[in-house]
Amino acid sequence: MKIRITTVGAATGVALLISAMAAAVAHAQRGTTPPRAPAAQAPAAYNGPRTPDRKPDLNGIWQALGTAHWNLEAHSASEGIPAGFSVVEGGAIPYQPWALAKRNENLQKRLTDDPLRKCYMPGVPRATYLPFPFEITQMPNHIGIAYEFAHATRTIFLDGTAHLEDLDFWMGDARGKWDGDTLVVDTVSLGDKTWFDAAGNFHSDALKVVERFSPIDATHIAYEATIDDAKVFTRPWKISMILYRRLEKNLELLDYECAEHVYDKLFKKSGKP
Amino acid sequence: MRSAIAIAGPLAAALLMPAAGSAQDGSSAPAAPRSAAAAPSYPPYVRPVSSFVPPRTPDGQPDISGLYLAIPLPRGIETPLVPLPNRAPNRANSEFSFSLNERPKLPDGAIARPVGVDPPDGRIPLTPEALARRKDIISKQEKIEYLDGRVLCLATGVPRSTIPAPVVGYQIFQKPGAVVIFYEQNHLYRTIPLDGRAPLDPNIRKAMGVSRGHWEGNVLVVEVTNFTTNFSNNWVIGAISATPGVPAESLTTGHGIPHSDQYRVTERYTPIDANTIHYEAKIEDPQVFTQPWTIAYYAFARAPKSYVPVEYACFEGNDKNLLLMTNTDISGVRVNVPEE
Repeated sequence: MKIRITTVGAATGVALLISAMAAAVAHAQRGTTPPRAPAAQAPAAYNGPRTPDRKPDLNGIWQALGTAHWNLEAHSASEGIPAGFSVVEGGAIPYQPWALAKRNENLQKRLTDDPLRKCYMPGVPRATYLPFPFEITQMPNHIGIAYEFAHATRTIFLDGTAHLEDLDFWMGDARGKWDGDTLVVDTVSLGDKTWFDAAGNFHSDALKVVERFSPIDATHIAYEATIDDAKVFTRPWKISMILYRRLEKNLELLDYECAEHVYDKLFKKSGKP
Repeated sequence: MRSAIAIAGPLAAALLMPAAGSAQDGSSAPAAPRSAAAAPSYPPYVRPVSSFVPPRTPDGQPDISGLYLAIPLPRGIETPLVPLPNRAPNRANSEFSFSLNERPKLPDGAIARPVGVDPPDGRIPLTPEALARRKDIISKQEKIEYLDGRVLCLATGVPRSTIPAPVVGYQIFQKPGAVVIFYEQNHLYRTIPLDGRAPLDPNIRKAMGVSRGHWEGNVLVVEVTNFTTNFSNNWVIGAISATPGVPAESLTTGHGIPHSDQYRVTERYTPIDANTIHYEAKIEDPQVFTQPWTIAYYAFARAPKSYVPVEYACFEGNDKNLLLMTNTDISGVRVNVPEE
């Protein structure tokens, strides 16, 4: 397969580049730690900065490293795709037999069927570990997360309100609370059209995701997401990874306007402006 | 059903249909005071000076955070001083997808006036070339290459994202060093740094522009530059569809007005009271306009407790809509299939 950095394919090219760099950085940052998948950290006391309401201060731009966006499970390298450890607790996703067959079919068709390639919003938790940064804006009652990919957003309500009924949102309906220094986000109404990665790992509209953002220090968050979908899996399962604060001076989110690249290609095809 | 908002296509289609446009004439006008509407002229625009002092955020910014809804525009983008045929005198130029029994109102004492405030005649000072370009764009609306970028689900830019159609919810966040605005429309967002950082490299373009803000007293002032200029679909302003039968040079709703890479907007967000923010945007682009021009209006009303922002997934479901409107099937280019 040739890697072409053109129009929508730019996602692929950029992703490759970023993930390769990210893997290198991740390795360097872990230093002498054995190169394992980032497991959930032991809940050591958080001594990082806090907001005026005494919550850990998560404001800023963050990014996951590693290869979860290619494949949550352990995989060897293929052309343009770095090898990666499983971020799934226990290694394999506990699919029901029919669902495993479906996943394997998805894997074969991933180049055309991955919803991300159609510029659909990435859903949850996939948005978290795309090779694009995201920005957290933290207020006592609302946390906003802005994602660089396709300007997806989430508002996490911490005001004690319940999930709404009858919704079908790409990014879900998120309600959060603080459990000590851990932000716990309960997301439902995610629909059935998103994947967890580019390897065809999927879910149904029964998906419920509970994320735990446990800050380790000022620049690292231990991130866990528990996936519950009784239509597809034999039991709930969990992924975990580290989120890294982007420390570059004056960093700001830029655009990956996925739709623009589709129109770029369309207009080029028709020879119009 | 709230979840219906997630389907952009039918909404967008309705907005382009002449019948939908004319249906908004008359009866859908807001109940805001509009005694001035019948008058042939308005008093000159005076930038509002508010004595309201907002509470402070923990880091000392005037606190304007919260959920807001758009206040219906009292008039079209252009001025009623420019005679328009087929135009009801009290035409409201916005529609709401969030059906409130009670629409946001102008604050007490506010004068309903045209949003085009400078130049005083309210005309958009297009160069002859830009006017010709606009006519060309408007005349080719059946072609996808010229279709309203909002209907394509492209990011609507600034100030267009603050013009209340078709989705009208906003969420303003504040954190030390930044104001962040989430727009319910097409889940757009902007981060406005307040830390005096330098402009971005001109090679970096963003559909919503690159914002640099500061507080002048209680007024948030934002300079926006570095806008994307890659298509004929990125328009400066634009509310609903052009009024049927009105020629392009009438500048009805702002459709089809392009911008160049020199496009620059200076916004002013003025808190009027605890529930209202007045908005002013000065628009400059020497490639397109003969002089800077300014729009101003009461833009944001604090949302009632019953309001919850919902996801407006625009591009995801737009294929059929575009096929219907432009006879263009984008599904074939939508997926990137690697070529050998």
